[in-house]
Amino acid sequence: MASIRFENVTKTYEGATSPVVPNLNLEIKDKEFIILVGPSGCGKSTTLRMIAGLETITEGELYIGDRLMNKVPSKDRDIAMVFQNYALYPHMNVYKNIAFGLKLRKEDPAEIDRRVHEAAKILDLEHLLTRKPKELSGGQRQRVALGRAMVRNPAVFLLDEPLSNLDAKLRASMRTEIAKLHQRLDITFVYVTHDQTEAMTMGDRIVVMKEGVVQQFDTPQALYEKPVNLFVAGFIGSPQMNFLDVEIAKEGRKLYAVLGKNKLAVPDFKCNALAPYAGKRVIMGLRPEDFLGQNQLTEDNAMDTEMSFSELLGADYNLYMSVNDIRIIVKIPAAGAQPERGSYRIAANMDHAHFFDKETEQAICH
Amino acid sequence: MEMKKSRKILLTVIGIIVAVYTLFPFYLVVMNTFKSANSIVSSPVGFEGISVSQLMTNLSSVVNNSNFNFWYAFGTSVIITVVSLIVLALFGGMAAWVICRNKTKWSTAIYMVFIASMIIPFQVVMLPLISTFRDVGNFVGISLLQSIPGIVFAYCGFGGAMTVFILTGFIKGIPYELEEAASIDGCSPEGTFFRIIFPLLTPVITTVTILNGMWIWNDYLLPSLMLGQNGKVKTLPVAVQAFVGSYVKQWDLILTAALLAIIPMVIIFLIAQKQIMNGMVEGAIK
Repeated sequence: MASIRFENVTKTYEGATSPVVPNLNLEIKDKEFIILVGPSGCGKSTTLRMIAGLETITEGELYIGDRLMNKVPSKDRDIAMVFQNYALYPHMNVYKNIAFGLKLRKEDPAEIDRRVHEAAKILDLEHLLTRKPKELSGGQRQRVALGRAMVRNPAVFLLDEPLSNLDAKLRASMRTEIAKLHQRLDITFVYVTHDQTEAMTMGDRIVVMKEGVVQQFDTPQALYEKPVNLFVAGFIGSPQMNFLDVEIAKEGRKLYAVLGKNKLAVPDFKCNALAPYAGKRVIMGLRPEDFLGQNQLTEDNAMDTEMSFSELLGADYNLYMSVNDIRIIVKIPAAGAQPERGSYRIAANMDHAHFFDKETEQAICH
Repeated sequence: MEMKKSRKILLTVIGIIVAVYTLFPFYLVVMNTFKSANSIVSSPVGFEGISVSQLMTNLSSVVNNSNFNFWYAFGTSVIITVVSLIVLALFGGMAAWVICRNKTKWSTAIYMVFIASMIIPFQVVMLPLISTFRDVGNFVGISLLQSIPGIVFAYCGFGGAMTVFILTGFIKGIPYELEEAASIDGCSPEGTFFRIIFPLLTPVITTVTILNGMWIWNDYLLPSLMLGQNGKVKTLPVAVQAFVGSYVKQWDLILTAALLAIIPMVIIFLIAQKQIMNGMVEGAIK
């Protein structure tokens, strides 16, 4: 069993005044594919490196399975790791790179040979086994790094931004390969990335981090639909969620989000949570895709906007608009659309609107 | 364009002058080994009196001279050079690796001591060094003067600074992730050094080894002080002294012995010059 458990773990670098990871509590289940995501410097790589034993833990306890790992050296943790720059041994060929860990563990040479060839076959590296890393392309090096890690049959597979050095096309195909590899190996994967597309498409659950603190730990769908705060709402989704500073107005039993001349009716199922904010300002979040067609435009969901320019993405258009001088992005299907600059009345899908407390930045309702 | 051409010509002329200036002593040595002692005195620079048979005679006289004892001196030089180079490469590499990877005040201080020792001229420390070696030898009961271990020890001390300096620059360019990957794969720190770092240092160690090798092989001053002119243990450059008398200098034999002494290094240098240049450049930019 290879669950991973952080109990009040703090990491402070020598000479630093504040911890890079303060008081982390996290439980990763056995065989889960977990993504650690966040902006640069948020502590996600440090967290991964603590699991790998490459960083010491200042305070708290880290368990892999039921075993306390704080003082256990990397080689005895039954882990394998793929590095951002692959860290292939330049003086060894592909075969020796993959077999290195097994040789050090004094495995039977015939068994080493079998496992290296098996990994090479899975990763389509059989014809490259005699080549040195410098003779390989980025994608091939990446696969060798994966092979070197998987051949050891580890309990935990750690990946530190393994796709960041690849071009967009190769990255997309390697995403699928890694997801398949997880299914095949059926072990715990912990994957670090700053790319939210990778996070959303690969993980069973995602840990969103900011300044060393876990903001939300949930499924990709939950992060997208029910972000717990402004940071998660802005980080997950591309283009990012539009944030509008609105005033909540109460008229009879109805609540309205007022933005200048625009008055958007809040759906009844959100009213209870928003009722205490009547007369106050809150942040309303609307994803670019949360706008309705013109046939669904009503007085209750209409917004007067000004479009400055548009971006064709193939299947969709991103329209860059402004509402009350606040810039928003609206995504519409490209088919039949020929957007031009000018004034538009658009329909917000208020069922999908998110509301956040302006001071605490925490979600009020979704 | 004109400026560039004239500049090129100027640089070529300077290059030729420097080359002639540098190669002239070598030319004198090679040319005069083909001459008898009288021909050398009468015409040291010209071609008069050169013959292959005279070269053979000179070579035979040098190799079979009982005072010179060529093969013994050659063997001593080989042992001192090879052992010093192995120790320098191995321990220099280890020291450079540890200094480079341990970012502490102590490692910086030790590195600074290495660098500082490079700027102290040998002539400043040579006489105190001899008396220190004598005292230490007496204290520990092992003769450090007039012994091969003693001079190997001295060469490792004097060569260590440059070795560590060059290797440190190279190691800084080796991604630290390689060592982390090795530790996850199951390497101990020693295993990481010998299985990962040391093989990666091969190009620069070759360079350093050749530079140190040329210095140790050709060195005259340190062995003449530590081994003595009339001691039992002699390196080739010291042994050449056998042909230098108080009143008579046997220039034919001196120059032939000098040629024999430098030939191995010239051959090694010619074979490895590409490697030296690569190692210098890699060390500089990585």
